[in-house]
Amino acid sequence: MLIDANNLALTLSGQSILADVNLHMKKGDVYGLLGPNGAGKSTTIALLLGLYQADRGELQLFNQQSPDLAAIRRRIGVMPEFAGFYEWMNARDYLIWYAGFYGGMQTTPDTLLQRVGLSTVGNKPIKQFSRGMTQRLALERALVHGPELLILDEPTNGLDPRGRREIHDLLIDLAEQEHVGILLCTHLLDDVERLCSRIGIIDGGRSVFEDSLEDLLQDTGKPRYRLHMTSVPEGHPLPPEIRLINKEGSWWNFEIDLPTAMDIGRVWINLLEHGWSFDEVGVKKNTLEDHYLSLTGVSAATLREKVA
Amino acid sequence: MKTTKLLLVTILLLSSGLATAASIQLQVQPESANPSHPTMGDWMHFNSVISNTGSKPIEGLVAWISLVEVTPGKEQPMDLEDWSAHKAVTGTTLKPGEALKTQWPMRLIQSGDYRIVISATDRNNSTVFTSPTLQFHVSQKPVVESTRILPVAIGIPLLIAGLLGVRKYRGHHKTS
Amino acid sequence: MNPVTLIAQKERSALLQNQRGLVWLLAYAGILSAFALLLISNRELSLLDNAQVVYMMAGTVTAAGALIAVIMGADAYAGERERGTLVPLLTAPVSTGELLMGKALGLVSAWGIMYLLAFPYLWSVGAGGQNLGQAIFYLGLFGTPVVLGFGYLAMALSARSGSVMSSLLTSLIVLLFSASPLLVGPGLRNSTIGKTLDAVNPFSGALNTFDAVIIDSDPFTGQLARLFLVLIWLGLMFAFARISARRPVFR
Repeated sequence: MLIDANNLALTLSGQSILADVNLHMKKGDVYGLLGPNGAGKSTTIALLLGLYQADRGELQLFNQQSPDLAAIRRRIGVMPEFAGFYEWMNARDYLIWYAGFYGGMQTTPDTLLQRVGLSTVGNKPIKQFSRGMTQRLALERALVHGPELLILDEPTNGLDPRGRREIHDLLIDLAEQEHVGILLCTHLLDDVERLCSRIGIIDGGRSVFEDSLEDLLQDTGKPRYRLHMTSVPEGHPLPPEIRLINKEGSWWNFEIDLPTAMDIGRVWINLLEHGWSFDEVGVKKNTLEDHYLSLTGVSAATLREKVA
Repeated sequence: MKTTKLLLVTILLLSSGLATAASIQLQVQPESANPSHPTMGDWMHFNSVISNTGSKPIEGLVAWISLVEVTPGKEQPMDLEDWSAHKAVTGTTLKPGEALKTQWPMRLIQSGDYRIVISATDRNNSTVFTSPTLQFHVSQKPVVESTRILPVAIGIPLLIAGLLGVRKYRGHHKTS
Repeated sequence: MNPVTLIAQKERSALLQNQRGLVWLLAYAGILSAFALLLISNRELSLLDNAQVVYMMAGTVTAAGALIAVIMGADAYAGERERGTLVPLLTAPVSTGELLMGKALGLVSAWGIMYLLAFPYLWSVGAGGQNLGQAIFYLGLFGTPVVLGFGYLAMALSARSGSVMSSLLTSLIVLLFSASPLLVGPGLRNSTIGKTLDAVNPFSGALNTFDAVIIDSDPFTGQLARLFLVLIWLGLMFAFARISARRPVFR
């Protein structure tokens, strides 16, 4: 296992930041770490990197209980959310300098720069780089020593669609060909769906879900229907078996508890009797976003308030 | 009789005039601890005694020190601004026979030949009384030399500014 | 190359290769040049003898060194955090002690440059006078721990606060407080409070040593108590920095 974290808890300045976090990752996994803002994702990453010490719980990195931090860090590459550099240096010099902490580069600076599409700007001062170029350089900084585990916080921030695709391809290649474990912290669910084999969701400092992405998406849960509304009654009272999930334009998404599939007709009649009218019905396929929203505190209740 | 009366009146008039004129006597001596070969930057002190040699009290006495350069070719009165902070005594009253002792400190700012004199007058007198003058020579002193300082003080910042300029030029040249 | 050397190398390049870094060197030279030019243009100052001038120049160099140390120290952790370069350092295989030593070596390099740059100025105002060699020696011996101590103080505050502004302001206040006995008149300095402050103040310790050695030609043995004072100051500030740098604010 690359990461084996169980029941991690952390208090900072008297405030409980993490209460019960679990994270399990093996070689070659691409693990998506999701959660609302302030859930504790970045704190979890900081804890994994040894920047904090957990108050409770167990943490093993590379199967070591009490690792030598320096030795562990040699095997990890980190791309923080806000990529900062020494702007008077150029990209080539910066990578050579940074690789010095790891005993030097495994390949030439030009090869590394080429991998992220920066080979033509290696001699340019970093202060002249665009946001996207800085992001690429930050990714290459994380890879400069050939790590076994890559921890990325919003790696495609500031990249155009082509750039994002290139980074995706690189990460997939790293995971599949070189069996690098990748821990990806991002808000972009598209990225997670494309890249990740496992996901973990944190909410309020606790792990609320951890499993393979495939298993999550196959869990259809309760049936969901989309109705194209033509009129909505004032106060829109709903029958008890119907729960409003969210609203997308004039399409309203409902979750419905049905004893049998045949009861769906009775549900529509019930809605019509309550003053709802609609001209189209569809089945709502559960996306990652739907699961995420249902698992985290951004719940139907919150959305119901928003649509009312 | 007439002549005698005229003579008496004249004598009276003269003596009353003499009796109303205050008489101030001034003496000045260098302090014994003064350097024997004064140099620029040294301090010297002069001690004066101002005496009321008249029969009436002196009121509103003002006494001051003056400095004159007498270096051949550079003769001029000196502004005591940098030389001394104690330039005068004022408002003193001296009874007949009373004397006022004053010390006058002075820092020797410039090399050359100089004379000092103490002058005094009072509220009711139109005459200015002076002491005898004291002459002294102030020697040149080796102090901070502009010939050493100027090249360093101007040269080093210029060198660093030049380095900055070269660095900037090379930076532009590289990226263009 | 070991991490300490790598970090020190980066700090040096920030000073000398960065345009902004060279500007501080120009400002420092400007201060010394202004003082030297004042000596020859102002009548009263031009009467000062060489020893007095060398003493004043040595004091100015120490004060400028302490100021630069405070600025560099305040930037050491908080500046890196604000620019987003601290996390890459903290997540590299570098211990917190190595990071601190690298930063300190960078500061020593800056002080070294200032010290060397002071030589021509000291020579220009002091050659032909007394104790120029002693002045240079004691400036190094006493100036270095005083300057480095202020640097460590600023680094400690920088690591704790995560804010350049707050750590710089606090360090400057401490520096000004240390320099205050020299700004107030001799009357206050000779009071009980003034004398007590003089006895524990490393800045005063250095300047009083310069006075004793350069002007009064006192021997080395007479400076041991003050040397002890400045070394204690350095030790205390190093300990403060070491403890603070173990868990610097990085978010």
